[in-house]
Amino acid sequence: MLELFQGPLFISILAAMVRIATPLLFSAMGELVTQRAGIWNISVEGTMLLGAVVAYVIASSTGSPWLALLVAVLACALLSLILSFVTIVLKSEQFIAGLALNLLASGLTLFWFQTYIIGRDPPKFAGFEAVEIPYLSDIPVLGTVLFSQRVLTYVSFLLPLAVWFFLYRTRYGLEVRCVGENPKALDVKGLSVGGRQCLAIMFGSVMSGFGGAFLMLGYSDRFVPDLIAGRGWLVVVAIIAGNWMPFRVVGAIFIFALLEAIGIHAQVVGVSIPHHVFLVLPYVASLVLLAGLRSRTHQPVALGIPYRRE
Amino acid sequence: MAKAFSSLIVGAFGSQKALLGSLAKATPLLLVGLGTVIAFRAKIWNIGQEGQVLAGAMCAYWASLWIGPLPYLIAVAVLVLAGLAGGGVLGLLAGVLKTRFGTSEIISTVMLNYIVIFLLAYLLDGGPWMESGATVAYHQSPPVNAMLEWPTLFGQGAAKLHFGFILALGATALSALLLERTPLGYEIRAFGSNPTALRFRGTDISRLLLVVMLVSGALAGLAGAGELFGTSHRLRAETLLGIGSSGIVVAMVGGLRPSGAMLAALFFGALKSGAIYMRLQSGTPAGLVSAMEGLVLLFFLCAAVATRVHITVRSEAHA
Repeated sequence: MLELFQGPLFISILAAMVRIATPLLFSAMGELVTQRAGIWNISVEGTMLLGAVVAYVIASSTGSPWLALLVAVLACALLSLILSFVTIVLKSEQFIAGLALNLLASGLTLFWFQTYIIGRDPPKFAGFEAVEIPYLSDIPVLGTVLFSQRVLTYVSFLLPLAVWFFLYRTRYGLEVRCVGENPKALDVKGLSVGGRQCLAIMFGSVMSGFGGAFLMLGYSDRFVPDLIAGRGWLVVVAIIAGNWMPFRVVGAIFIFALLEAIGIHAQVVGVSIPHHVFLVLPYVASLVLLAGLRSRTHQPVALGIPYRRE
Repeated sequence: MAKAFSSLIVGAFGSQKALLGSLAKATPLLLVGLGTVIAFRAKIWNIGQEGQVLAGAMCAYWASLWIGPLPYLIAVAVLVLAGLAGGGVLGLLAGVLKTRFGTSEIISTVMLNYIVIFLLAYLLDGGPWMESGATVAYHQSPPVNAMLEWPTLFGQGAAKLHFGFILALGATALSALLLERTPLGYEIRAFGSNPTALRFRGTDISRLLLVVMLVSGALAGLAGAGELFGTSHRLRAETLLGIGSSGIVVAMVGGLRPSGAMLAALFFGALKSGAIYMRLQSGTPAGLVSAMEGLVLLFFLCAAVATRVHITVRSEAHA
């Protein structure tokens, strides 16, 4: 067990953590904006899966990971319109709508997988390659961990800053937060509540699309139907445990990513503990985090409550 | 596509055997659906049915390993209770997390799903429940003791109806009675529609929440135990996964009423049973059924809103 924390292996764990955190960061920052706009969207899991499937299909048929990313993100943006229609126009129970989307995504994926992939030679695809940043990647330890990653990883590290700036330093960000706290105030001023919520949902879906596509193209070597494996739910946990504040959410994400990275390496090194113990760690940690970090002071007041004019 | 759907219908209702198969598939869906109805009526969003079904089956399997030579009926009763207990305890755990730590049950039940799935994977793959002597890991337990299989009502082979069907029908009646005729049922409905009023009335909200999660999980657990000892006879994740999410759809489409859940369970049971036949006849994979469940749920949400609008328009016209 102790050998996991020494020398090159430890650096490898940290580098893996950064790579594992990438899709989670994308999805979490998107979902954070959605939730700050008062929409309790639990379809992150299904949206990431859609992003991954589309990315896989396009990457294996065209050979271009960047085109695959673009199409995956567009598909997720389209999917978000369904959620917007059901939650904003019809004002249905938001969590049931999310549940339905998750079912739809996993069902369609399974259908597609059983029809085209199972029992055949799965199509090969080219994923994203690591890009070493000149000079910075030569720094010992840090160079390997932080500056020899994929382009999207660098983007994902700037994303929390961008989301923070958007939410707290721009007028539109203030309005989005207002939609989640007191939609009536915005409506009285003649600003569209539904329009902002629709855009917030779409931003969330697009970011989950990035997350799912990265998981496929930057992290995995083959497609499996349970590729997302609960990461979409961990993202929701991270937002609650992080009290809806961007940088605390990032902190929770890194806890999950570190646990998963340790798990992967423990399997490779051959620790005598069953590998299932490591697989289950992030989910146990999520319950511990939620039970321990109970501050909900920044939870949007109108989260999950459809806005109706009186 | 037409061939796929016609074989779906033949596979669901085409013969007595097909009909029995549909009823057999409806049995666990109805039990899970009833548990969901009870929780959702209180607006307690238990969506951990997948894990609770597994926990019920695991607990019953565990009980079957140490159970001594008992009279058959008593042994079956022990397995039923073990199934109820397994699912119930898992539901209760999420309930405790809610009452003690304020953890949203939506999140905790989903996390517990994953934890139970990994626990089962460990037990069947290298753990104590792995089939001994198997050279390839099939991720399944050895067959359960044949003396403990649940009694069959009708049919044989793939199309047989085990006595869990009677339990499910009984549970439907009991759930309807509970919700409509008992003080607890009144509290459940009141908690769903106006929790503040219930609090002022002096009801112990925590106790109510724990009881609802216990009952809701227990019904799902019974579904898992029934599938194991009535149908599959081997503990295996693949045969049990999917029952939970179908059960949620059954409850929603059934309008969160026990009687409605029964009709919806028959419909989705037929869909699942027909899908197996469809797969054999036209090669259409069964994943289509779960996609259809998601679609049905979405359309149901839209339809529910349409009727709500209709009702308000009419009541305004009367006023």
